Amino acid sequence: MTTALRDFIKNPTAAELELVARYGMQPEDARRERAFLAFAETGLPHRRMEGWKWTDFKAALKALETPAAASAKDPLPDDGALVFRFTPKGFEAPAKLPDGIRMVVQPGVQAFPGAEDVPMGALAAALAGGGKRPATLAFEITSSEAPRLHFVFEGAGEASFARIVFLVRSGASLTLTESYLGGAGLTASVLEFDLERGAKLNRTIFQRGGAGEALAVTGIAHLGAEAEMTQTTLAFGAKVARMETRVVHQASGSKLNLNAAYLSGKGFHADITTNVRHGAPSCVTRQLTKGAVLDGGTGVFQGKFFVPRKTGQHTDADMQHQALLLEDGAQVFAKPELEIYADDVECAHGNTCGALDDAQMFYLRQRGIPETQARAMLTEAFIAEALGMADEAVRDVLLAEAQNWLSS
Amino acid sequence: MDCCGGTTEHEDDCGEVKVKDSIDAKTVEAAKALESENYSAGFATTIETDFAPKGLSEDTIRYISAAKNEPEWLLEWRLKAYERWLTMEEPTWAMVRYPKIDYQAYYYYAAPKAGAKYASIDDVPKEILETYEKLGIPLREAEVLLGVEGAVETAAEGREKPRVAVDAVFDSVSVATTFRKELQKAGVIFMSISEAVHEYPDLVKKYLGTVVPQSDNFFATLNSAVFSDGTFVYIPKGVRCPMELSTYFRMNAENTGQFERTLIVADEAAYVSYLEGCTAPMRDENQLHAAVVELVALEDAEIKYSTVQNWWPGDEDGKGGIFNFVTKRGDCRGDRSKISWTQVETGSAVTWKYPSCILRGDDSVGEFYSIAVTNGRQQADTGTKMIHLGKRTKSRIISKGISAGKSDNTYRGLVSVNRKAVNARNFTQCDSLLIGEKCGAHTIPYVENRCASAQLEHEATTTKLSEDQLFYARQRGIAEEDAVALLVNGFVRDVLQHLPMEFAVEAQSLLKVSLEGSVG
Repeated sequence: MTTALRDFIKNPTAAELELVARYGMQPEDARRERAFLAFAETGLPHRRMEGWKWTDFKAALKALETPAAASAKDPLPDDGALVFRFTPKGFEAPAKLPDGIRMVVQPGVQAFPGAEDVPMGALAAALAGGGKRPATLAFEITSSEAPRLHFVFEGAGEASFARIVFLVRSGASLTLTESYLGGAGLTASVLEFDLERGAKLNRTIFQRGGAGEALAVTGIAHLGAEAEMTQTTLAFGAKVARMETRVVHQASGSKLNLNAAYLSGKGFHADITTNVRHGAPSCVTRQLTKGAVLDGGTGVFQGKFFVPRKTGQHTDADMQHQALLLEDGAQVFAKPELEIYADDVECAHGNTCGALDDAQMFYLRQRGIPETQARAMLTEAFIAEALGMADEAVRDVLLAEAQNWLSS
Repeated sequence: MDCCGGTTEHEDDCGEVKVKDSIDAKTVEAAKALESENYSAGFATTIETDFAPKGLSEDTIRYISAAKNEPEWLLEWRLKAYERWLTMEEPTWAMVRYPKIDYQAYYYYAAPKAGAKYASIDDVPKEILETYEKLGIPLREAEVLLGVEGAVETAAEGREKPRVAVDAVFDSVSVATTFRKELQKAGVIFMSISEAVHEYPDLVKKYLGTVVPQSDNFFATLNSAVFSDGTFVYIPKGVRCPMELSTYFRMNAENTGQFERTLIVADEAAYVSYLEGCTAPMRDENQLHAAVVELVALEDAEIKYSTVQNWWPGDEDGKGGIFNFVTKRGDCRGDRSKISWTQVETGSAVTWKYPSCILRGDDSVGEFYSIAVTNGRQQADTGTKMIHLGKRTKSRIISKGISAGKSDNTYRGLVSVNRKAVNARNFTQCDSLLIGEKCGAHTIPYVENRCASAQLEHEATTTKLSEDQLFYARQRGIAEEDAVALLVNGFVRDVLQHLPMEFAVEAQSLLKVSLEGSVG
């Protein structure tokens, strides 16, 4: 089998061969195989693929190696939260969970429909598990009062994979925070959310990796009737970092807030990619992505609203991406896309890209504020809007992290 | 059906048209019938035609080159392109679906038997003159009325009668070019590219393929190999072209492809406004149109290029129609140069077209104004590329897409800013309007910014016609279809303002035609 797969990826790179070898070490499982084949179809995604033209994993990840830089410190508070920790080799979970949260550690892989659309998600699904780590970690949330779940992905190693599935029952709510702190050469995780009628999800992603690492976080959510999802991402990027979210409005009246901020310095790349399908009438999406990029940094935003015929009627969707290029040598790529087949809808998208306003800078400078600080203040004000809907417990921390980065 | 690219969204939609309860079925039928009958340019002209052997091979290319008595270098150029084309693959990324094209099923060269170019308009076969007359382009009258031979016009007369010089391209050859002598007085070269190859080989050699290289993309490469006729324009230094120039492309013969190549060069501080119109007869087979247009604007020059594209769009079931795969690109080579594209797209079964500007000169300006209307089963994937290379370059994109019937209309655009394009500016606005619930409107903008001081803005909305506006018009006694036409014309006004007057009128009426029967 391994030999056949090896042939399946055209002209495999060293990193791809290592991934094939890792797959070969996993127990045989038809569902795992399907996920891996979905990945093997293209191998590591590269710039000749439409959705990856600005985020080239194949070029960035030559081999699976343990990077020199250690994991970043987790800034998100863990008091009052249930903490789950994934490292390249291990997995830790609280010994006991309160009522309303049920966790199932599954040794086998669950089916992963739509894997071909998310090659890095498929890879995570195919290679999750082994050792103490679950192939699939599943949660059922039945309470509306459940404490926050905090997931930490850290630790030195060549590669780290995880697959986590959440089922949020009707009327229940889940507050979830995730810290991706780097340390592994390649981190790939896939999180799936199924929100039943009236269920709520508030998800916050904090990402900070080393300049030699590759990271792909794939989130897939299905929203039931009147379900509400709010997602906030703060990403500092890595050598190549993709934060991808795919959401399907499955029943009418669901609401989605999809916000993200990326701050990308020299040698860092941060990609925010989203795909929202308005598969039911009268659903609402509000999306705001803000970015600030320094010399030698790269920011990528790819957003897509898909509104199918008939089922997508009365969609109300708005997508905004705004980026600041703080220095010469910064680059920002954007593709805010609309694909619409229903005639009675409101869909808008906006995209702006430029430097800080000279007049505003001048105002602060003539008040005696040094340039770096003035720049930080203005950028912070610009970025803050995208972080405003994060869970209260972490909102200020996210802002403080952004502030620190801007003033350093 | 063997399809290329596109989405699967239409697959459930191949059966009978479902109509909202509120709409009278008879009205819909009547409107549907109107759509194809409304195509007034759909007649065919019976004229004896010489064809190249069917299909595409090196021999076909040699045949075309020989028929045009071309110099050796151009034949070599064509063969090189053909060799390259054989290694290329047809692009599938556009949001259009069409049956696989059999490139061997077309005639790549078709010319009226009576010869290609006529010494005077009097020698042009009657059938051809009538064809153009019927299309509203009276070649003979225009010349006679304004007196070509020896008549000296006063400036006042010139102002009173806005003149348009026309190059008429019929299938693969240019049959007449009006006002040539008149233009020569101003130093303007306006002739078919086949003639220019002989009369001004140095100019053609210097600029041909410098904006759209031979192997630019699949269709442009095909064009480089088999291009038949097109227009060559050269405006010398400091000259403001005294009249509007235009080319009218007519595809007549069956099973032919039209592959024209247009090259317009505006030398330093020159100005030219050029219009292009295209129509074709109603035929059941798909016909291929793969043109290349190259514009070069040197220092301080300005080129205004307007298109009214009304190729046969196919009938209401999607039978027949033109595949319009066109590469248009302008190069603002000199500082402070300006290229502006204005297009009204109402025809063609499938459109794949991205008129672009390479803003190379400092302070150069690129503009793109577009209205694309799709109806029936039409599919359009169109937009622009603005490549900012020079300092303080500016571009503006205004695109209006209107989808009706079961059509799909996609705006696809790229704004790219190079590191060195300091203080570049772009503004993009693309609006889509959906008329009815069986069509689709899509917006795919690509933005690549590598320069911190550049400022780029993009905004787009997709809505249906405002019911309040429609009600307001209706309660004033305006019939529903007229009201829609009124509102739609209001919606696209921005674009039409940039069309030369003669064309704006034509475009307005075209727009009305395309939208009739679409209310729903």
